[in-house]
Amino acid sequence: MPVPFPSEEWVAKYKEAINASADYKIAGKDWTYGVIALVCKAKPPILEKDIGIWLDLEKGVCRDARIVTPEEANTAPFCITGEYDRWKAVIKGELEPIKGMMQGKLKLKGNLPTIVRFVKAAQELVKATNSIDTKFLDE
Amino acid sequence: MPYSRELNFIHYAPTKVIYGVGISKDVAVELNALGCKRALLVTDRELSKNTDLPKKIREYLGNNCVGVFDEVIPDSGLHLVDKGAEFGRSLGADSIVSVGGGSAIDTAKGIAILLKEGGSISDYEGFQMLTRRQTPHIAIPTTCGTGSEVTYVAVIKDWDNHRKLLFGDYNIIPDVAILDPELIRTLPPRLVAATGMDALTHAIEAITSPQRQPISDALGLHAIRMIREYIAIATKDSDVTYRGMLLLASNIAGMAFSNAQVGLAHAIAHTIGAKYNIHHGLANSIVLPHVMQFNNEVVYEQQARIAEALGIKEDIPDKELGYKASEKVLEIAKSCDLPTRLRDVGIPKSELEECAEIALTDGAIVYNGRPISDPSEILEVLIKAY
Repeated sequence: MPVPFPSEEWVAKYKEAINASADYKIAGKDWTYGVIALVCKAKPPILEKDIGIWLDLEKGVCRDARIVTPEEANTAPFCITGEYDRWKAVIKGELEPIKGMMQGKLKLKGNLPTIVRFVKAAQELVKATNSIDTKFLDE
Repeated sequence: MPYSRELNFIHYAPTKVIYGVGISKDVAVELNALGCKRALLVTDRELSKNTDLPKKIREYLGNNCVGVFDEVIPDSGLHLVDKGAEFGRSLGADSIVSVGGGSAIDTAKGIAILLKEGGSISDYEGFQMLTRRQTPHIAIPTTCGTGSEVTYVAVIKDWDNHRKLLFGDYNIIPDVAILDPELIRTLPPRLVAATGMDALTHAIEAITSPQRQPISDALGLHAIRMIREYIAIATKDSDVTYRGMLLLASNIAGMAFSNAQVGLAHAIAHTIGAKYNIHHGLANSIVLPHVMQFNNEVVYEQQARIAEALGIKEDIPDKELGYKASEKVLEIAKSCDLPTRLRDVGIPKSELEECAEIALTDGAIVYNGRPISDPSEILEVLIKAY
């Protein structure tokens, strides 16, 4: 049964997918740099307001994942913001997030070199989204 | 060089580039064309102390200059950006003119953010976070290697925590780059050579980057042709024609790598530059041939085109041609009397392993032509360069 993105249900599935990924467990084992938050910008009428996703990642484990306000998301040490269509491209595996940040398709608040050091972990986090049966609100 | 069906890219190079011997005299005209009349001049401390270049630019600006911030040091710091911005704000500056090398231009990019947005520069660490154009900025490079006058990144050091912060945003690309060969006429030969080799590294790594694309390739290849032709003579002869060509090549290479990124040579140069205080261009120059040999297995087609741009005309397979490109780069460095071994610049062999570990964590690694996942691969390059 596909779950809509973004939603509480989708975020719960995402947490499960991250923690089920043996590859992420290895690639992210040295990650101790705190929360990565994602902000999906509003796309009326399918998404009326900006939505934040809080990912509390530590040493290869996702300890907590939940929907937050964009303001709260912005308090995370790393916050990646993008339009709905950009996130859709990431989830579909069509947009590599680091390239997206370089090109301005995604916006990063935080230290890029730290993210880049964990490029394999970032790839595994993206792969985990691919494993979720996602329903996009505009499809 | 074939491109895949999946090729997609953004090429962004909005800077107005102005070139000519003595053209920096036009700085006030350019400033006024941006709608500005109150520029803060940002420059290097050493440049200000040892040359009359900042003074000259100030004169050219006339009443359009409200003050000079000349405290920039190599590897500029967060505290300097904050201080420069506060100074600019107190003077009511509406624009910035930077004069110097990469540190001065990067500091000015940081000040440009703060004059527009307020706060402290550390609040803006990140990529593509800004939503509007920043304070108008005219960059006037006085070296021929940085390319920073056309790039979207500023590297500023956090001296308290010993780390470099990256600020990358299309909104901080300088509005105007004034390339005046007269300003690099008095640059010491070794600096001409080292910064020229930095530009060559920018061009080569842009062409071998996984993010390469036809426009950046075209820019990179032409920059290589120009550097090959002029670097040795511009090092030995301060004639503005030769040095001007090198200055232009650096600018063109800057446009290439700002769009395609750089790779392993830069990751190593950042590491040994920070650890042993080795000039960035020189560090690139030493490791580049060895990085190219390491990469050749994967990017030999690109390196074969680089070989052609370097003037090698041999009817041999691309793999061999790609390798020959690395030999040619080494030959160019030697022709400029630059050291070509890591041991020549005082790096202890016993610390190469540590250098490899650190280089693996540098952002540039992601864009190396040959994927790297283990420090032992970098160590192999370092040992060869030793």
